[in-house]
Amino acid sequence: MAIADAGSSRGHIPRRRRLRVDLTTPTLLGLPLAWLAVFFLVPIGIVAAYSFDVYSLDPGPHSFTLTAWRDFLHSSVYLRLFWKSVRMSLTVSAIVVVLAYPLAYYLALSGTKRKYILLLLLIAPFLTSYLLRVLAWKVILGNQGVVNTFLFWTGLRSPDHPLSQLLYSRFAVMLVLGYIWLPFVALPIFVSLESLDRRLLEAASDLGASRLQAFRRVTLPLSLPGVVAAFLFVFIPTLGEFVTPSLVGGANGYMYGNQIVDLFGTGFPDWETGSVLAIFLLGVVAVLTVVFARFLQPRQVAAD
Amino acid sequence: MDVALSKNGARLLRVFFTLVVVFLYAPIAILLIFSFNKSAVPTFPLSGFTLHWYREFLGNSEIKAALETSAIIAAVSSAGAVVLGVLASMALTRRFFRGKAAVSALLLSPLVIPYVVFGISLLLLFHTLGVPRSLLTVVIGHIVISLPYTILVLVPRLDQIDVSLDEAAFDLGASRLRTFRSITLPLILPAVVSAFLIAFTTSFDEYAVASFVVGTRVTFPIYLYSALRFPSQLPQVIAVAVVVLILSLAVVVAAEVGRRIAERRFASLEID
Repeated sequence: MAIADAGSSRGHIPRRRRLRVDLTTPTLLGLPLAWLAVFFLVPIGIVAAYSFDVYSLDPGPHSFTLTAWRDFLHSSVYLRLFWKSVRMSLTVSAIVVVLAYPLAYYLALSGTKRKYILLLLLIAPFLTSYLLRVLAWKVILGNQGVVNTFLFWTGLRSPDHPLSQLLYSRFAVMLVLGYIWLPFVALPIFVSLESLDRRLLEAASDLGASRLQAFRRVTLPLSLPGVVAAFLFVFIPTLGEFVTPSLVGGANGYMYGNQIVDLFGTGFPDWETGSVLAIFLLGVVAVLTVVFARFLQPRQVAAD
Repeated sequence: MDVALSKNGARLLRVFFTLVVVFLYAPIAILLIFSFNKSAVPTFPLSGFTLHWYREFLGNSEIKAALETSAIIAAVSSAGAVVLGVLASMALTRRFFRGKAAVSALLLSPLVIPYVVFGISLLLLFHTLGVPRSLLTVVIGHIVISLPYTILVLVPRLDQIDVSLDEAAFDLGASRLRTFRSITLPLILPAVVSAFLIAFTTSFDEYAVASFVVGTRVTFPIYLYSALRFPSQLPQVIAVAVVVLILSLAVVVAAEVGRRIAERRFASLEID
């Protein structure tokens, strides 16, 4: 474009400075940062304050104390529940990544012409309502659900003995979580495979590597950042999950997130302990995010 | 010879891909089928075709009120998130300042916070300030969680646009606001629209955070959640679910296709 050419050919460094002098950086950033400070950072600070009993639901005198934290770290109940949730999330994330890898590989490397259409086909379910997808599984897995009544109808199972472990179990929670996250996970893996230079594979092949060797020594290592990102994109949100377990988990599928919700619930609220649990979860997620930050490049996700 | 995949390998992966797509769409298809099923409980065998549940839903004022509430919240919060997102993205792509990495990490951090923690944080904030829960409190929360999504859509778009276009306008005497209005904004408009739609669908579907800060007027996901726990109105809910699902799918696909077309057009303009 003519205008653009004229602009850049005259050397724009001084001009850029002039744009900057009129400077809108504070105006641009003021509102978004203020919003996040007031409605994101301060609220987390308040939760922390509750966890140290600086604030409290109970009237009467109270001051800074570590009691709730000490109780939490010595309580086998909460920590055991936390590890159970960690195990469930790890399992779901691992399975989902393993399933998603071949999908991404197919889209990125098979040379199919319709890869973006197929990618959209794969991701579209993720963009639809979360609760509706859970609802679908409730309809499918229940004692009077699609699977069981289908089995009764075909005579494979008697109506007196439905497959009752399908719904309200740890299995159901993990199945639904896997179902929900599978489409999304393929995305970061796809992006990393897509940016892979095919000439590397050709070179490997010229040097006598079999496809399997080339995959193991070239493709897989180079796509590892995408795999790690994909893993974390599932692990982090499922670790604090409470909606799916409360709908399809029953007592067996109860997760750490449900415990937090219940501590703030209407039954026997214990905001102090609940805040400890919440801050602990946040801390774990924050550490994971910082440690793996280089894999979580937002641009990698945003790119197409 | 293809270096990445043998013929059989490609065939195998194609079959696998198809199976996964079937797995992903089957539950949605089952919802669709049962929304036209006569029986009041979703069980086999199917008991005949009916539009009864769709008619019921059209007459159910509770569902309609919840849909309306969600639409209002989604519209206001996504407008808010887009405004904040455009401001932040302009700063991230067009300005130099100290601590940019930290600022950008903060702006994106709502992406990774567990929603249960964020929901409780907002609950405690409003409790401490004595703010009653209402539509506004949900809007506030939804702006926070959709803001990073808008930034993720807007920043790559702004990066693509030559800064010298802004500078040229500025040289020709346009004020910064005028430059933004007549140069930058039109160029990023497709991204603004898709940021809005992503924020809208995020908010419209959001249950976790809303469940902590919602007032007496329930949103659609909150309504859906309670209907799921007490499944007396299940077929109607399935019917609404199907309508919402198809609408949101259509919006998302339209947004994506629209963005691609607009960007392709722009790309060809640039080459000229």
